Amino acid sequence: MLLQATISGLAAGAVFGLVAMGFTVVAGTVRVLHLAHGDVVVAGVLTAVVVVLGRTPVATQLSPPRALAFAVLVLASGAALAGLVGLLAVRPYLADATAGREADALGWLAGLVAAGLLLREGFGLLLPQEAYAVPDPLRLDAFTGVIALPGGGALPGRVPVVLALALLIGVGAERLLVQSRFGKALRAFADDPEAAALCGVAGRRIVVLAFACAGLLAGIAGLLDAPGRAFSVEDGVVLGFAGMAAALLGGLGSARGALLGGLAVGVLQAWVVQADGRYADVVPLALVVALLALRPRDRVSA
Amino acid sequence: MNAVELAQALWLLLAALGLALSVSYAGLPVLGQGAFVAVGGVGTALLGPGGAGLPLGVAVLLAVVAGGVLGQLVALAASRLDGASLGLATWALAWLVYRALLAFPEVFGGAQGLVRTAPAHLVAPLLGTDLVLTPVVHVVLSGLLCLTAIAVLIRLGRGPGGSDLLALRQGPEVAAGLGIPVAARRRAVLTATASVGALSGAGTVVLLGLVAPADVSPLLSLQLFVAVLIGGAATWWGPVVGVALLTALPLALDVFPVDTERLSGLLTAGLLIAVLLIRRALRQAPHPSPGRTAAITLPPVARESIWRPSLLNAENVCVRFGSVRALEDVGIVLRGGQVHALIGPNGSGKTTLLRVLAGDLVPGSGVVTVGGRPLVEQGGPAARVRVGVVRTPQRTSVLRTTAMRQVAIGRRGGSRPRYAVLRHLLATPNAARAERSSEHVVHAALDCTDLLAAAEVDATTLTVAEQRRVQIARAVATGAEVLLLDEPAAGMSATERAHFADVVRRLAGNGLAVLLVEHDMRLVSDVADRVTVLAEGHVIATGSPVEVQADPEVRRAYLGTALA
Repeated sequence: MLLQATISGLAAGAVFGLVAMGFTVVAGTVRVLHLAHGDVVVAGVLTAVVVVLGRTPVATQLSPPRALAFAVLVLASGAALAGLVGLLAVRPYLADATAGREADALGWLAGLVAAGLLLREGFGLLLPQEAYAVPDPLRLDAFTGVIALPGGGALPGRVPVVLALALLIGVGAERLLVQSRFGKALRAFADDPEAAALCGVAGRRIVVLAFACAGLLAGIAGLLDAPGRAFSVEDGVVLGFAGMAAALLGGLGSARGALLGGLAVGVLQAWVVQADGRYADVVPLALVVALLALRPRDRVSA
Repeated sequence: MNAVELAQALWLLLAALGLALSVSYAGLPVLGQGAFVAVGGVGTALLGPGGAGLPLGVAVLLAVVAGGVLGQLVALAASRLDGASLGLATWALAWLVYRALLAFPEVFGGAQGLVRTAPAHLVAPLLGTDLVLTPVVHVVLSGLLCLTAIAVLIRLGRGPGGSDLLALRQGPEVAAGLGIPVAARRRAVLTATASVGALSGAGTVVLLGLVAPADVSPLLSLQLFVAVLIGGAATWWGPVVGVALLTALPLALDVFPVDTERLSGLLTAGLLIAVLLIRRALRQAPHPSPGRTAAITLPPVARESIWRPSLLNAENVCVRFGSVRALEDVGIVLRGGQVHALIGPNGSGKTTLLRVLAGDLVPGSGVVTVGGRPLVEQGGPAARVRVGVVRTPQRTSVLRTTAMRQVAIGRRGGSRPRYAVLRHLLATPNAARAERSSEHVVHAALDCTDLLAAAEVDATTLTVAEQRRVQIARAVATGAEVLLLDEPAAGMSATERAHFADVVRRLAGNGLAVLLVEHDMRLVSDVADRVTVLAEGHVIATGSPVEVQADPEVRRAYLGTALA
């Protein structure tokens, strides 16, 4: 049973890791804690649901072209929504030397919370049911077999596939963030926005691009996560906090740390849930509070 | 509106007023007041009559204490100066409490919440009273508490607490450098906010006999946050207007046929966005300034009475960053009444030495003593300010408020009588005396930096030269005996430099020891009694300006031939 919990925890954790990588990209580049990130994951998936299936979606097998459209829509709307959030809710509150403006953390925190609330309640009005079955454009449900595990317990065939895919994408994205020109531009901006601007990295654009990049990762996470279960508008908040817990655990700076942190959070949650299912939501939330409180003080404090 | 609804609104206002202390007075982004309200409400319901059966008063008291303790714990996350982590931590806490209430129905009653027959009696056996808590009594009680909270907020803003809050809100980094214990102040503010929130929750559950998760959800946290943000910085009326709006909201929502819970969420988000836009416009608008001729009616003070001579001594200081030897066997002596200039080429270790002398950097070897005691044993920046060493930052960083209030922050940082805030709130005779002596110090600091005429103008509108003097006045007002100034004359014109030299001489004349890191040799020879020259981490010369300028090694390493 412990093995079953561990493997499904790893699969859930790999998805958390993708969410956490998005959170880390924003935190590392723009120095902003993306409080609406989880809601973007959900909103990306639900945009595709509304566009492809309408407001009363029935979980059907999608034809290949519609499946493709669905998958592309999830990724595109994730990136677009996140970019918009960055543009409207965050950028006006960042320090801007040319406009002589100081950073206003209270402003972007409130802006992000408002954005998350808007997405959540807006989609809640569009899709009023408690939860939905989201179709799987990747056809991972083709892996119908149930794997019997040694020591009792069984695993739906989908779980190891999700784990493998999420890890593969996570590692690939990490490499891209480290090695690509875009990744280098992000890091240059993070180190010193003004110096980066002198080297041709457009700061105002980077903010939006970092958010869009996080949104793309959010879309991938949603695509892997949503079809496996009853998917609710409200899921975004806890998913986002799980990602934050993972990112904090990974040191809030490295994409690799975020991925590993995600695996740790997923396994921890699965173990706790194995013992008592009522703690499912409590674990990531309590982890965020605890990790913030226990974080080493890294700057001047009197 | 009946008495129950009015009482409910007043209890909500109490939570908003408590939150205002953190958000609009101290500038802390607290997004989880609902969690503290929940702790107060659920705690009272679980502990009080109908629950564990404790007397109502005891149950409320315990619930309020629990809220305060939770606030303290969350404040641990506020140790980062940017404050953003605090926003995240309180937002996570709001969701944690909400989800925990839903996750354990056998304790918290699930979505229905805890129903307790309204414990309508407050029995005080000692006084022999048995007060029936009717809705009207609730209105009176919560109304009185709200008035008290408003009175406290107003009075707080005028005393030493006002300086603390202004410092927290506008410049925690500057304030920490001036000796204000920023982290401790944040903990105190958050504890007060959380306790008042818990009291509000307790009052509501006693009034309604019910506490359901939906009533203390993160949405409540956001609504309270919006209510507080409406008034802008440091206003007590913001929460009043905000709560009035929130109370009117459900009435307006009845018009629409759709899911009201979702709609109230959307409306809250809309309100939050609107408030943010207004806030942004206000921040960008230039601050009105009352004109530079504002008269100050404080009596003049004998300057000499405030400061006494002192001594800072550094010996054999070595600092290495990896394999780079930043400082090698450096020694320097600062005497009271003396201006000591520190010069040298870029990268020679001037700023590193300044950081060592300020105690911000512990040298690899060597010792810095202040008044005979090693500096490193004194503790954090607040403690170093109290032993009398203050360093002004290299870049100008004045707060967006009058020079006078900033200098008052310096005074507050340097002298921290115990419970000054509490004494001021209670208006003890002692507090009035302390206030007068503070005013004297602030006035003297402004006077000797020639800022009296500009004292009541928003300091961000002053010239660079004046802003530098504000920084120095702030440091002087802490009662500093050793002033460490990092390139204070950068960006000043020749006339401003001459004036600045006068001010520095005057400070030394009052007995202060001044260390001046400076590139301008003319200013140095005008103002300095002694000069130390650093090159590549070594002291290559020490002496009077004339001696140093004549030194061939100094000419080779630093001054070059231009002066010859």
